Amino acid sequence: MSMIEVKNLKKSFGGDIVLDGIDFRVEKGQTVSVIGPSGAGKSTMLRCLINLETADGGDICISGNYLMKDGHYVSDKQRRAVCARMGMVFQNFHLFPHLSVLKNLMLAPVNAKKLTHEEAHQKADALLKKVGLDGKQKAMPSELSGGQKQRVAIARALMMEPDLLLFDEPTSALDPQLTGEVLAVIQELARENMTMIVVTHEMGFAKGVSDKILFMGDHRIIEEGTPDEIFNHPKDARITEFVSKIL
Amino acid sequence: MNYIFSLTMSMMEGVQYTVGLFLITVLFSIPLGLALTLLRNSKNGVFRGVTGFYVWLMRGTPLLLQLFFFYFGLPNLPFVGQYLVLGRFEAACITFILNYAAYFCEIFRGGILSVDAGQYEAAQVLGFSKWQTNFKIVFPQMLKVCLPSISNECITLVKDTALITAISVTEILYFAKAAVNRDTNATAYIVAAVFYLIMTYGLTRLFRWLERKFHY
Repeated sequence: MSMIEVKNLKKSFGGDIVLDGIDFRVEKGQTVSVIGPSGAGKSTMLRCLINLETADGGDICISGNYLMKDGHYVSDKQRRAVCARMGMVFQNFHLFPHLSVLKNLMLAPVNAKKLTHEEAHQKADALLKKVGLDGKQKAMPSELSGGQKQRVAIARALMMEPDLLLFDEPTSALDPQLTGEVLAVIQELARENMTMIVVTHEMGFAKGVSDKILFMGDHRIIEEGTPDEIFNHPKDARITEFVSKIL
Repeated sequence: MNYIFSLTMSMMEGVQYTVGLFLITVLFSIPLGLALTLLRNSKNGVFRGVTGFYVWLMRGTPLLLQLFFFYFGLPNLPFVGQYLVLGRFEAACITFILNYAAYFCEIFRGGILSVDAGQYEAAQVLGFSKWQTNFKIVFPQMLKVCLPSISNECITLVKDTALITAISVTEILYFAKAAVNRDTNATAYIVAAVFYLIMTYGLTRLFRWLERKFHY
């Protein structure tokens, strides 16, 4: 059973088609990068997977549990249950600005009664250490650099122990010298076989870390393959053009 | 000096009504305003319409008129009037709570609009319920934005309490006016002004402290 299976996913905003029949699978432990030109529908596709956007048709199945089947969403309760298996990291972090780093991490699992206060505190300390921010427990988000904020956001998503982590352009809002520290954390998660889908413009990262790359253009997946297949032997001219422009 | 002292002592009696009305209004109109904001932002068009009408009505008519309506007007309504006779202070409290709730509703609505849409998305993907999102994420951020406006409103409220002298509640201005008429001497107005200045100064300090506390 695949960790995620998407079939014929369709979505339009008003009359504009954004996703025109997307099909792909992600197996457990895989890191999948989604690349392609702006406006191809990469972020919308990711947001549909975690129910931040409502798709118009198709199937979305997360480790055997449908979020949407034949264009019909499951009940609200089931939707929440399916989405609870996923975590998401946003381009603009979306940390809670009124809460300290520690409270940003602890709030969700304590709210969901997944962990007690003490357990959450311990887990938060451990995760902050993991992302290299031990000692920042009491800092407010406004006191952190962009790279630090994004690492806190990753730790916050990990607090809920997701089976699948979605990254929506995690380094696009960062200064170039800060992207490395965030990518290093994602790379470390890949080594630990965390299942991840990463929408990114960092070609070096996509090439080095991904098990599979999905190339999106014109609202569909034009090609999927290993980094070697996509970067060195692309079948579609649009990929050749995109890669030559960006590298 | 003795005259000023005796004026001060007599006005001290009025302070209980001024401060009482202030505290009761703040205590009830803020939660009521917050509830109105939630209804005003609700998906249900009827709730939105009714709260919109309410805000328009309460902000669009003079507070003094509302005060007269609740105290003098209600008992004169046909059939039900006899059950709606209110004490002076009760009428004042009800009028002020209902009026100020409309203003707080609009202040909070503005504050909620200022909260970034990404906050709701982050809360959703972290599994927060609607209530948890409101109480733990949205309201604290809203409050920071609203504090200066709330402070403004509270200072206006202190001064608005003087209106209830018009329905003969024996608050500060009531005593001042009586003293001026009795002694044909304007000093009492100045003493009353000092009372209001002290109260508004205290509030200014309190809100400055709160703003620092809520700063992040």
